[in-house]
Amino acid sequence: MSPKPHRILLDRVSSYADEAGAYLRRRRATREPFARVFYAGGRSASYEPGTEAGRALFLAASKLIDAADR
Amino acid sequence: MSRTEGERGPQSASPKPAEAELAVARMSEMSVDLRGCAVLGPEGEELASTGGSGWSRAGAAFLEAADAADGEPATQVHVATEDGEAFAVRDGGLAMVAVAERFTLASLILFDMRTVLRDLASGNGVPDRRAPGPAPEAG
Repeated sequence: MSPKPHRILLDRVSSYADEAGAYLRRRRATREPFARVFYAGGRSASYEPGTEAGRALFLAASKLIDAADR
Repeated sequence: MSRTEGERGPQSASPKPAEAELAVARMSEMSVDLRGCAVLGPEGEELASTGGSGWSRAGAAFLEAADAADGEPATQVHVATEDGEAFAVRDGGLAMVAVAERFTLASLILFDMRTVLRDLASGNGVPDRRAPGPAPEAG
């Protein structure tokens, strides 16, 4: 016996929800800390934590986070 | 001292404290992941904030680190750390710095910050969309 049409629709919606949940879990698991700076004209640059500029940015960011939590 | 000249140049905006507080309130209302934010004036001074302390010094240092990274004034900064995400936006001589939960949707936070700061820097005021208080009782 074939499944009722509304069951097919529900299964499809839950499968989309599962996919979205899995995408968000993967994003959380794989995302590394990063620093990105945007300049006039739309140019942007990323700075790795191992570089001098990156270290300064991460240090300043952690102090800003502390200020918010104080 | 922090440089706060933004995309629209270094003109010195000086919003009233009430307007800066309204900007902070609007930002808090729009961004659910926000942990705190502050508006900084042309000299890096704190005009309004959601609370906490040391926004002025920490915000100025954050903007200075961004400027020093490439020797050019930054218009926006986004740094994601293990403890949270830090943002800064400049416009019209003002700056807004914000801290949000980790994994927040950064493009939305930056969009909200730009919108609020642009309204504040333009001098036209930030739209007050807060819910009105209870009507005064008659009689």
